Amino acid sequence: MSLKDHDKKTFIVDACNDFTAKRLTKRDFMRRMAMAGVGFSAFNAGLLGGGRKRGGLLGLGPDEAQAQDADMLKWLADVGKPYAGTKIRYTSEATPPSIVANQLVAGEFTKATGIEVEVEIVPLEQVLAKATQDVQGQLGTYDLYYLDQSWMATFSQDVIDPREYYDQNKELAMPGFDWDDFSKPLVDGIAMYNGKQCGIPFDIPIFILMYRKDLFDKHNIALPKDLDEYLKVVQQMTEAEKGNGIFGTACQAKSGHYSLECDWTMALWGHGGSIFNKDKMFAGNDEQGVTGLKFYQELVKNSPPSATTWTWDGQGQALTQGAAAMAITWGEDFPGFDANDSKVKGLFEALPAPKEVPGRRAAADCGFNEIPAVGHQGGSTISLSQYSKNKEAAWLFMQWVCSKDVMARVSTLGGGASPMRNSSFTDPRVKEKAVVGPGTTRHFDAIKWTIDNQMGSEPDMPIWADLSNNDIPVELGKLLTGQDYNGDAKACLDAIGKIVDGKVADAGLR
Amino acid sequence: MSDVASVERARGLALPRFLTADSPVPWLLPITAMLTVFGLYPLGYSIWLSLHKRNVLTRQLDFAGGYQWAKAFSDARMWGALETTLLYTFVALALQLVLGILIALLLDTDRRGYGVLRAMMTLPLVVPPAVTGMMFLLMQDGSFGVLSFYLYALDLVSPARPLLTQPHTALIAVMLADIWQWTPFMVLIMLAGLRSLPKDPFEAAAIDGASAVQTFFRLTLPMLRKVIAVAVLIRGVDLFRIYDYVYIITAGGPGTATETLSFYAGRIYFTGDFPYAATLSLIVLIVLIVVSNIFVRVFKVRF
Amino acid sequence: MEPTFFQKRLRDVVAVIVVAIFMFPIAWWALSSIKPYSAIFDRSGPVYVDFTPTPDNYRVTLLGVSRVQIGMEQGGDAAGVIKGGANSYDSRQSLADSAIIAVGSTIVTLFLATLAAYCLSRMQFVGQQSFLFWILSQRFMPPIAMVIPIVFMFRDLGLRDTYLGLILVHTLINLPLAVLLLKSFFDDVPREIDEAAMIDGATRAQTFYKIVLPMVKGGMAAAAVLCFIFSWTEFLLSLFLTTEIRTVPVKISTFVTSTATEWGYITALGTSAIVPSFIFILLVQRHLVRGLTLGSLKD
Repeated sequence: MSLKDHDKKTFIVDACNDFTAKRLTKRDFMRRMAMAGVGFSAFNAGLLGGGRKRGGLLGLGPDEAQAQDADMLKWLADVGKPYAGTKIRYTSEATPPSIVANQLVAGEFTKATGIEVEVEIVPLEQVLAKATQDVQGQLGTYDLYYLDQSWMATFSQDVIDPREYYDQNKELAMPGFDWDDFSKPLVDGIAMYNGKQCGIPFDIPIFILMYRKDLFDKHNIALPKDLDEYLKVVQQMTEAEKGNGIFGTACQAKSGHYSLECDWTMALWGHGGSIFNKDKMFAGNDEQGVTGLKFYQELVKNSPPSATTWTWDGQGQALTQGAAAMAITWGEDFPGFDANDSKVKGLFEALPAPKEVPGRRAAADCGFNEIPAVGHQGGSTISLSQYSKNKEAAWLFMQWVCSKDVMARVSTLGGGASPMRNSSFTDPRVKEKAVVGPGTTRHFDAIKWTIDNQMGSEPDMPIWADLSNNDIPVELGKLLTGQDYNGDAKACLDAIGKIVDGKVADAGLR
Repeated sequence: MSDVASVERARGLALPRFLTADSPVPWLLPITAMLTVFGLYPLGYSIWLSLHKRNVLTRQLDFAGGYQWAKAFSDARMWGALETTLLYTFVALALQLVLGILIALLLDTDRRGYGVLRAMMTLPLVVPPAVTGMMFLLMQDGSFGVLSFYLYALDLVSPARPLLTQPHTALIAVMLADIWQWTPFMVLIMLAGLRSLPKDPFEAAAIDGASAVQTFFRLTLPMLRKVIAVAVLIRGVDLFRIYDYVYIITAGGPGTATETLSFYAGRIYFTGDFPYAATLSLIVLIVLIVVSNIFVRVFKVRF
Repeated sequence: MEPTFFQKRLRDVVAVIVVAIFMFPIAWWALSSIKPYSAIFDRSGPVYVDFTPTPDNYRVTLLGVSRVQIGMEQGGDAAGVIKGGANSYDSRQSLADSAIIAVGSTIVTLFLATLAAYCLSRMQFVGQQSFLFWILSQRFMPPIAMVIPIVFMFRDLGLRDTYLGLILVHTLINLPLAVLLLKSFFDDVPREIDEAAMIDGATRAQTFYKIVLPMVKGGMAAAAVLCFIFSWTEFLLSLFLTTEIRTVPVKISTFVTSTATEWGYITALGTSAIVPSFIFILLVQRHLVRGLTLGSLKD
């Protein structure tokens, strides 16, 4: 066998010996096995014995949920000692990773280092408002920012490149952090701007197809292979199930909200269009763009009527309540379908979104680093603020929350958090959860494939937050609710084009 | 005044007159100081902002003269928002006023149990506007809302076109929250007014055989003129600045059907164009100052 | 002419119906706070009594019970859930924060407003109506325009995310109405009383403090309640000027997550927030009704 294989086998044997001799806890043993690529099923793990009684709960119980990487915590305790008593702050959207991190931090991070972490969890537009306010005055209120990928251009000058910081501050650099473990498409798509890495990818809501297998079976409908078929299937399903109060799909088409813009990009990129062409002019009103918008208008017609007042939370709720049969939308919603009080537990399946028709526009033909593909990604980073007065303490937290162990656990706990790290996808704890039930991970395959093969990213430019919140979804909203444009997709897109081109020129970006 | 002055001299006070308790100065100084610092400074800063332009790349604020103002006046969306705000203000004000007077008349009696009714009527006032917004959002939801359910049952609204999704009805939906919450305020003011009216003219009218309607229009209403004027002024100002309900219930949608001027300013503010947001806010302020000044003069409102 | 028996009864019925209509939204809201989700989202129609009430929403927001524990009590598999994690829906601190700020701003407002109102009621000087108009005009500025300058100002003064900062801002907004309201109450006290006191040798200050002020206790209570309610319910400025301090309206807005809106907790916290204000306004109702003519009927 090769040298590498030999090392691996030695490693495994040593670990086994240590475990038997009780020099390793069961958790650490399993972690090392995972590192060596050896997976354990729950049954086998149970056979290893040890561990506390779980009171009859199946699978990985609360003990595993509390599994802590003892080495990492010890390192944190040592390095964090001088900063004990500091308080760091950041504000974030209520996405599963943030919620979970918030719940774990007191018992683990703060306990080890004495550094307190105050997280302000607010809706996304408030996160933007607070971050904008903070950087305008360089207030330093927040030590870390949670930055949506669409804001990266706006805030790139306010954050510190984490890789540089890691290299320059060796005494604070967490061992085994493993930068290469982060999914490269995610780093490129979310965290990079103008060659600078602006933060560490933290969450990755991404568009996949989620559908009610039971309804498809009931009506003998074949799964759609591309978006044209998808529309037909949606229409078919609405016809078939409308009497039962179930629509083909549900959109997040709230007028004037970013969610509508996200849905629109899926339709646009899915039909070979793009927002900007390589001359940085608005291209959403060309032939492919108009086809895309017409497609979306049809989707809205096949959604419950309130879809034009919903953002992603209303859409998620509609799917969980069984009001729609399928949607191409955030994979984050998926575990909610399997919640204990969900009407549709176990009925949804996940796949990558159907293919674009006729195909994607090449990224080289688009402006501002836009990457068209049907799998719209809305990822965010956690970033270190230039104006922070507690950079070191914040940096320690940042590494903890993005560490292999924490990220893997975040994927399983609280549900819905797609991994940022390649290792998380193969972590045995994650694989164990690929069953029906709360915190399920059975949609991860679809997500990983989408990240690697059809991830679409919005343009990177400083006024994008403005355009994607205040202009594009407002005009689209006028069209979809009949307030203006009389149903004419081209007229609406032309109007958007005028506004966008005007603002881009005004800001000196062309 | 000479009595007081002599009293002071008798006491041997040597303070200059304007600092003693007899001059308005010490009484008004604290409030004036407070309002100057916290009121004048933001105003000044907003004016300063409105004369600048924010460079997106450098974040610097560069002097731009009348740029923002020219932009605002040529911004169709601003005019639309202004129109929406005016519509909202007038309709809601009229409804609140009429309902307020009617309900006050209804409840203005010393009969048993009416005290309880009046007390219950004040309850909507104590609900946080943010909560009121959510209340009405829940009730008007197209699929689960209780209000929607009854509207469908009465065939006033079609389930395919719920209240909040149509440009024409969305503004009404937002107004419902406002009317629900603030009509009690009008009721309280009107009740106060009714209770301080002198009894004699009414007794005389009753003796003369005037009907209830005649009494109302010829006697009650004119005597309440001043109360109504103050109520209209205060409520009108608040309605014009409306933000909370719009934010929670419709976020300015569908399209821009419920986008009031304050809400539009808020949107711009959230994405960082502070100078333009300041300009829009100043437009609100200017309109309010002009209109209320005219109002005070025409209706001879005295405080 | 004396209304007939029938007319009286009709009036009673109409009055009760009108008040009931106004009470309905609150009743519905409070009802929703004890419903399980299946009853809130029942698509076949509104659910009035056909459900098993659950105290869980209150347990989470008011008693600090974690959601997770509730999930486990419902017999769920705990594998997807964290035990002993922090409960970000626990709202007790928010209720306390809101109370501190509301009481604080009420006190400051009353202090400033009574001084000014007394003066404006008793002393005539040039430009008095204009001064009053200036005070009232502080209400004209949309709150959103005040945010940025105040944020910067507070940063320089070290008032960001402090109780004092928010108290001052709420006071600023409360002052106009408080001054107008209190002036009308002072106007109700005849000037003769002041003059009699001063002839007897009291200074202006003593007259104010010992004689006149006690006579407007009811009015002060009414003004206090209005100030309290306003501060308790204010949203926008509280949102932008604080980070750790989270007043109740701000806290409620955080219950809207990226995958769902937590109606159960929102209704529970909302209902709890209404209770103290309602009690206060009931206590001062009479005085409120008296004073709200705001002096407009004096000629």
